[in-house]
Amino acid sequence: MESPVTTSTQKGRKVLCVEDEHFISELYVRALTRAGYDVTVESDGQKGLKQAQTDQFDIILLDLMIPGMTGIEVLRRLRDPKVTPRLKAKIVITTNLEQREEIRLDIERQADAYLVKAEITPRELVEFLNTIK
Amino acid sequence: MDNLQRFATQIRNQQLFVLLVTGLTIIAGWWIGDEVLHIDPILLLALLFALAIGLSLIFAISGARYLSQPLRIVAQAVIHVAPDSANVPGPDVKSARLGAELVTNLVGHIYQLASVVEDVSGSGKKRELSADFVANNLPLPLMVLDKDQNILFANQNMLQYLKRSIDETVGQNVYSVLDLSFRSNQTFDKWLAEVKTGKAVATNYWDQVKLNLPGAKTSPQFDLAAYYNQNNPDGFETILTLFDHTIQYAQDDQALSFVALAVHELRTPVTLLRGYIEVFEEELGPTLDPQLADFMHKMDASAHQLTTFVNNILNVARIENDQLVLKLHKEEWGDIVRAAVADMSVRSNVEGIKLTADIANGLPPVGVDRVSIYEVICNLIDNAIKYSGDSKEIVIKTYVGADGLVETTVQDFGVGIATSVMPNLFEKFYRSHHNRDQIGGTGLGLFLCKTLVSAHGGNIWVKSKEGQGSIFGFTVKPYAQLAEEEKNGDNTDIVRGAHGWIKNHSLYRG
Repeated sequence: MESPVTTSTQKGRKVLCVEDEHFISELYVRALTRAGYDVTVESDGQKGLKQAQTDQFDIILLDLMIPGMTGIEVLRRLRDPKVTPRLKAKIVITTNLEQREEIRLDIERQADAYLVKAEITPRELVEFLNTIK
Repeated sequence: MDNLQRFATQIRNQQLFVLLVTGLTIIAGWWIGDEVLHIDPILLLALLFALAIGLSLIFAISGARYLSQPLRIVAQAVIHVAPDSANVPGPDVKSARLGAELVTNLVGHIYQLASVVEDVSGSGKKRELSADFVANNLPLPLMVLDKDQNILFANQNMLQYLKRSIDETVGQNVYSVLDLSFRSNQTFDKWLAEVKTGKAVATNYWDQVKLNLPGAKTSPQFDLAAYYNQNNPDGFETILTLFDHTIQYAQDDQALSFVALAVHELRTPVTLLRGYIEVFEEELGPTLDPQLADFMHKMDASAHQLTTFVNNILNVARIENDQLVLKLHKEEWGDIVRAAVADMSVRSNVEGIKLTADIANGLPPVGVDRVSIYEVICNLIDNAIKYSGDSKEIVIKTYVGADGLVETTVQDFGVGIATSVMPNLFEKFYRSHHNRDQIGGTGLGLFLCKTLVSAHGGNIWVKSKEGQGSIFGFTVKPYAQLAEEEKNGDNTDIVRGAHGWIKNHSLYRG
C-alpha cells in the first residue's frame, strides 16, 4: 500500500538527522524516505557538526542529548559565523529534553523550529517538514 | 556680659560687707572694752587683735568656699562633658548662690559646645563608612544608598559578591549595579518607590532573589533585606543586606532537572511506541480484523494519554519551581480548539465517545501561550472522557462571553461531581473521593488547568450535578484587551509567570 505521506514535491530534498536513538532515527528515515526525502543519519554530535558544515542539506534535524558534543553546542557552532559560514539548511531541533527557560530562549533565537519528539509521530514530522520552505 | 558685671558687683559688695562688719566689730569692741568694762588698754588692744584675726579666719574660710562655688560648678560641667568621664555626675546648677545667672549661662554654653563637638566628630565618623569597623567587617554583603538611589557605600563582601571594584560601584545608581529578578511583582524598586512617598521608616524582606550577572553561567540567589529611613541625618536613606542561598536554591533547580531527565527518559519510549503504532495502523490496519484494529487504536490512545500525563508532570514541576514562563502571542482561538479536539479524538474514539466542537464565528484573536493553553483544553477533554461513564457525548463550545472574554466550555453527560468536593477540585492531587477507586488519574490535570488559565489572566469554573455530568469553562482574553492592559511597547510578546520570575522591569526605564 502507498503511504499517504508521499509527495512528489519533496523529491530529493536532503535531510540530515542527528539522532543517537537508533530506533527513532530508523522510524524517521523510513517515513521521510517514503515521502521522497533523502536522509543522512549521524548519531554523534561531532560527526553531525562536520556533516552539517558541508552545507549540502536543506533541513537538519538536531537532537540535543547526543554523545560527542551536545546538540546545543552543535547548534551554537552552526550559527557562529566564525566557525560555520551561513548554511542554507533550516535547523529543526527535535528533542524530548525540556530546557531551562534561558537555554530555551537561546535555542529559539538560533534554531528555525523546535519539536518535542514524543508529541509527534513520524507522519506528523513529515507533514511539518513539508511546510518548511 | 551683664551677668559678669553683676557677678563682680556681688563680690565687691560681699567684700565691703566683710570689711565693714570687721571694722564695726573692732570699734564696738574698743568702745565696750574701754568705756563699759574699763579693761586695760594694752590688754584690750591684744583682745581686739585676737578678735580681728579670728573674724578674718572665719570670713576667709567661708568666703573662699562661697566665692569659689561658681568656678566649681563650671569646672564640674567641663569635666562632665569630657569624653572619659562616664561616671562623673553633672553639676547642680540650682545650688549656685553667687552669680547664679552667670553660672547657669556658662554651664549651658559648655553643654551646647560639647554637643556640637560630638555632632561634628560623630557624623564625620559615620560619613566615612569605609573606615567603619562594623560596616566593613560585617560578614554579609552590605550596601548603603542615598536619596537618589546612588550607592554611597558597599562593603568588601558586597563587592566580592557583585564581582565589581569599588570604583565601578560607589557613586553608581543601584539599579545599574544590581540587576535583580524577584519571585513576584513586589520588587525592591516598587517597594522603595512606595515607601519614599508615604513612610519615614520601613523595612522589607524578599526571599529567593536572583542577581543577573552579565556573562555568568549561574546566577547567585539570595534573600534580600532593606531598611529605609527618610530622615537619616547623614543621607543614608536605604541600607541593603543580602543573605546568600545560591546552593540551597540551586538544589531546588536540580529537582527540576531531575524531573526533566525523568521526563526525557519517559518520552523516548513513548516516541517509539507512537511511531511504531502509526506504522502498524497505516500499513497493517486495513488488513486486520476489526477487533485487532480496535486494539491498535486503543494502544495508540494509551500512548497518547501517556504523552499528556508526562507533560502534566513536567508543567507541575515547573510551576512549583517557579520556572514556568508563558509567552502570550496573538493566536486564532478557533484553530487551537479545533486542533486540540482533533488530537483528543484519538482518545475519545476508542471509548466510543463523540466530540462535538461548536466554535462561534468571528472570535477575536486571543493572547495565549499556544502550548500551555492547548494543554488546558486537552486536560479538560481528557477529564470529560474519564468521567463520561456510559454517556457517549462531549460538547466543546467556544464563544465571546458577556464580559468580552473568549469563553470555552467542555461538557460531559457522565457521572458528575458531588457538591461536597467542588471547592477542592482545582487543588493539586485532589480527586473526587467518590471516584478514586474507579477512575485513574493523578489529580494534576485540574490544578494545572487552573494555574495556566490564571497565568493567562482568565478564570476557570465548573458546574456539575451528580449523575448528570459536568461542565467546565474557562476564559482567555482577546489579544487587543491584553495588549492594552500590558501597555507593551512592541506588542509581540507578553511574558507571564505562573507565579514565576518576574523581571524587575523598571530597572530599564533609566
